[in-house]
Amino acid sequence: MGLGQEMRLNRIFDPNDGRAVAVAADHGLMLGPISGVQELGKTLEKVIEGRPDAILLSPGQAEDLCHLFMGRRAPSLLVRIDWTNAFRDRTYTLPVRETFFSSIATPRDALRLGAHAAVVYLFIGHEDERQEARHLALVSRYAAECEEAGLPLIVEPIPFGPRVTKSNYSELVATAVRIAVEAGANALKVPYTGDPESFRDVVRASAGTPILVLGGYRALSRRDLLDVIAETLGVGGSGVVFGRNVVQASDPASVLRDIRAVVHEGRSVREVVAGGALSKTTRLRVYAERCSGCQVCTAVCSFTHEGVHDGSASRLRIEGEWPGPFKPVTCTQCERCVAACERKALSRSSLGHIDWEAERCNLCGKCAEACPFRVVAIHDSKVKICDLCRGAPECVEWCSKNALGAIA
Amino acid sequence: MSMTGLKGRGYAGRVLHLDLPRCERRCEELREEEAKLFLGGKGLGAHILYRDLKPGVDPLSPRNMLIFATSPLTGTVAPTANRFCVVTKSPLTGTFLDSHCGGPFGVGLKEAGLDALVIGGAADELSILVIEDGEVELRDAHGLKGMTTLDAEREVKRSLGEDCQVACIGPAGERGAPIAGVFSGMRAAGRGGAGAVMGSKGLKAIAARGRERVGVYDQEAFTRASWIAHRMIRMHEVTARHLPQHGSDNILETINETGALPTRNFQAGTFESASEISGAEWRRELWARDTACGRCPIACSKVAVVKDGPYRVEFTDGPDYESIWSLGALCGVGAKDAIAKANELCDLYGIDTISVGNIVAYVMECYERGLLKEGDVDGLEAKFGSREAMVALVDKISKGAGVGGRLQNGVKRISEGLYAEKGDGAFLRLALHVKGMELPGYDPRAAQGMGLGYATSDRGGCHLRGYTAGQELLGYSGGANPHGTEGKAKLVIDRQNEKAVVDSSGLCFYAFFAQTLKEVRMLVDAATGLGYGSSKNLERVGERVYNLTRLFNLREGFTSRDDTLPERLLREPMRAGPAKGLVVNLEPMLKEYYQLRGWDEAGVPTRSKLNELGLA
Repeated sequence: MGLGQEMRLNRIFDPNDGRAVAVAADHGLMLGPISGVQELGKTLEKVIEGRPDAILLSPGQAEDLCHLFMGRRAPSLLVRIDWTNAFRDRTYTLPVRETFFSSIATPRDALRLGAHAAVVYLFIGHEDERQEARHLALVSRYAAECEEAGLPLIVEPIPFGPRVTKSNYSELVATAVRIAVEAGANALKVPYTGDPESFRDVVRASAGTPILVLGGYRALSRRDLLDVIAETLGVGGSGVVFGRNVVQASDPASVLRDIRAVVHEGRSVREVVAGGALSKTTRLRVYAERCSGCQVCTAVCSFTHEGVHDGSASRLRIEGEWPGPFKPVTCTQCERCVAACERKALSRSSLGHIDWEAERCNLCGKCAEACPFRVVAIHDSKVKICDLCRGAPECVEWCSKNALGAIA
Repeated sequence: MSMTGLKGRGYAGRVLHLDLPRCERRCEELREEEAKLFLGGKGLGAHILYRDLKPGVDPLSPRNMLIFATSPLTGTVAPTANRFCVVTKSPLTGTFLDSHCGGPFGVGLKEAGLDALVIGGAADELSILVIEDGEVELRDAHGLKGMTTLDAEREVKRSLGEDCQVACIGPAGERGAPIAGVFSGMRAAGRGGAGAVMGSKGLKAIAARGRERVGVYDQEAFTRASWIAHRMIRMHEVTARHLPQHGSDNILETINETGALPTRNFQAGTFESASEISGAEWRRELWARDTACGRCPIACSKVAVVKDGPYRVEFTDGPDYESIWSLGALCGVGAKDAIAKANELCDLYGIDTISVGNIVAYVMECYERGLLKEGDVDGLEAKFGSREAMVALVDKISKGAGVGGRLQNGVKRISEGLYAEKGDGAFLRLALHVKGMELPGYDPRAAQGMGLGYATSDRGGCHLRGYTAGQELLGYSGGANPHGTEGKAKLVIDRQNEKAVVDSSGLCFYAFFAQTLKEVRMLVDAATGLGYGSSKNLERVGERVYNLTRLFNLREGFTSRDDTLPERLLREPMRAGPAKGLVVNLEPMLKEYYQLRGWDEAGVPTRSKLNELGLA
């Protein structure tokens, strides 16, 4: 790697921890005017409040929005210098029939725009293997030109095409990563393989070249998003390049703050998810109209608290049976149980949950009688009571329909 | 390690054998070796059925066995882990039958302390079987006679308590209609006639409850594996977007575009009114709510409501893709209200919507070709596209009324009966089934792999054994050329083996759109401590199970000659659409299939294959 490349890479990856939080906002080039990129300037102003280390743009937008990248605290600029039609699936007006790649700018163009790195794709899995060969030739040329220009090259190796299956996917990611490294990539933007075990193999394949994980189209919940990041960091990843999960969020800055907390501040996902949310006034919030009656909440509640799957040990329940409607009934922290306890075995903690002290309790059951929602009970010589999981309530986290929430 | 037994490691640890009418009981400890070989669900059921059922018994005689089997993941927090299966010899096909259900009964069985319930013999009178913490009692069920599935389940819960879980049959099961299913929580173990077997045993319902809890081998690892599995479902576009928004019917328009939507009894592969019955249209007009099977983050299931008109429906489950297609396109009907009404009748009276749609379509084609007259079908003008005729026929089949008494026996028997009476070979040629099971909603001329899948499915014409449509038609997992035969044998075998693992694990096939055997392996190992170690080893279970069901069918007298498709699919080229001019090129695929399976030319597993699988 040349000196210029190294210096610029250091602007992207924080020299203190070698990690980076980048935001991709080049979607318009491949996908057209999707939400979040319509008024990109306004979106990016909000994004920048969350202090990303870098932002990825197309050459045109980089020129239009150059003012956002001026000043000492401004994020670094990554510029996409190639184009593909591959992502236009059948939901687009002109779905792709044959995959093509084009060079739309040179590394020198990117440099002129003030870029700290150029970003390009490398796909493997084409039906026609000549495509792969052509694509690799293109990437190798970029690598040479980047080196000459002193600009780092970030390659995005993606398995794509009819020969990619669910079962060969993670292996192909590792293969593509290795090819990209051998072709001269200085950093990588890589899809997550779904689990840490297989991602470890991907990191190994990169032979020390830093890997940023990408988000894809998925609208991840905050915890899913942070969880994926933590898993990749845990096996040697160097950070993220997230696009739609940030630019399409209602509050991009808060998403980025949480991501930074995990990537740069070394905080655990649980801490970040729970942090700030819980207080003396935290309550579970029920959105009954979204509930599908699946009982994942009751199963995870009993499994978390008791280590077995037993609906009767759950601290909440779902009312209603087919054909619905369904209604989750949870503890509301109304404290009637606290008031009913004559031995002061129950109290409201500073995190908002009801604390039960076994030594003070004689299992008289007055708390259960006092509960207006019948979610407190004596079960296996214990008071079964919602403790909001002392931070991040599992029922909220596991509910895929967002029928449960925690409000401060 | 193995000394500790299986209880608390996903399993309850025992199988209850019950002999009616006297309720003689025998408890069998589930051994670790067996669990590792067959896992649970389908595998466990197949193991017991092959071991204990005498060959050649009449499926509706007391000598047949009715097995309810759960799996180590059933009842856990793993996504979609709610399922049980009914295993028996099918009265529709005479083959092995496993029919799966997402209703709550499986969890009830587990909590009652059972991995499986094996019922032989028959009760003298219509009865309810009550299982409570392993104790068994047969109660009189005359009050439930003729009741719909929905009413029967509610009534059993009302009389025994809301905490018991119920499996029941509708009136069709009581009558022994070989297209009758077993129902639980308005979910159905629909295909192949398990409901008729239950009816033949005099059981209107089975209720189970107990205080056993489903524990796992390694709580931390299981929480982790479950979380990742849930997250993959939340992140995959099929399970996070398509299925929740438009149910399984999200694919109907795509299947139509690929020319694989069987229309008017498989006379065409495209339906002009497909857009009328797409998932988006159901969502816009009829679906009132999403519901989920237990522990399922997807919620592909919908509740349809028809507020007024001739086909008023208070509530009906779904309908799902197969029901919408079979009662719709296959009969030429594009009216959602009529489809919803027919679907409601099928669910309440307890019959399989796929078989019913096929029967109606068969009658309609016979009628249009002048083979059947109005007088043969109770005066109905049974033309394709007639919603009135479709609903009227479904009503008759559901109730066994009028011509429904004959039609409830399935396309194979109907066609053979008509041929015997009237001597016209066309009656046989128009019957679309494999081994007696009516075909599902993918025309194999437009998806060759599906053709091989139907021909080699262990329960007859079923799409859910070698589901290659994902690759061939929907572009999942990289896609595959739907019209070619190359590589299809391997594809079908891989899908069949995987599906057998899924069906033995307690998970739903739909979870598998977002996952691979790798995640299933992590879940199973964390739950059971059986130490499969790799997905390859788990896939071996699927291969073993598929070979075992093959042995069962061979023992029952099926041969390679039965591994075939209806004449229409092999000889009548598709007339229009993307698959125009194609028939199913079955022979080369089947030959390669036997070879890759390690079966001889007659489709019999070789000695060395059986040795390799521990089945010798």
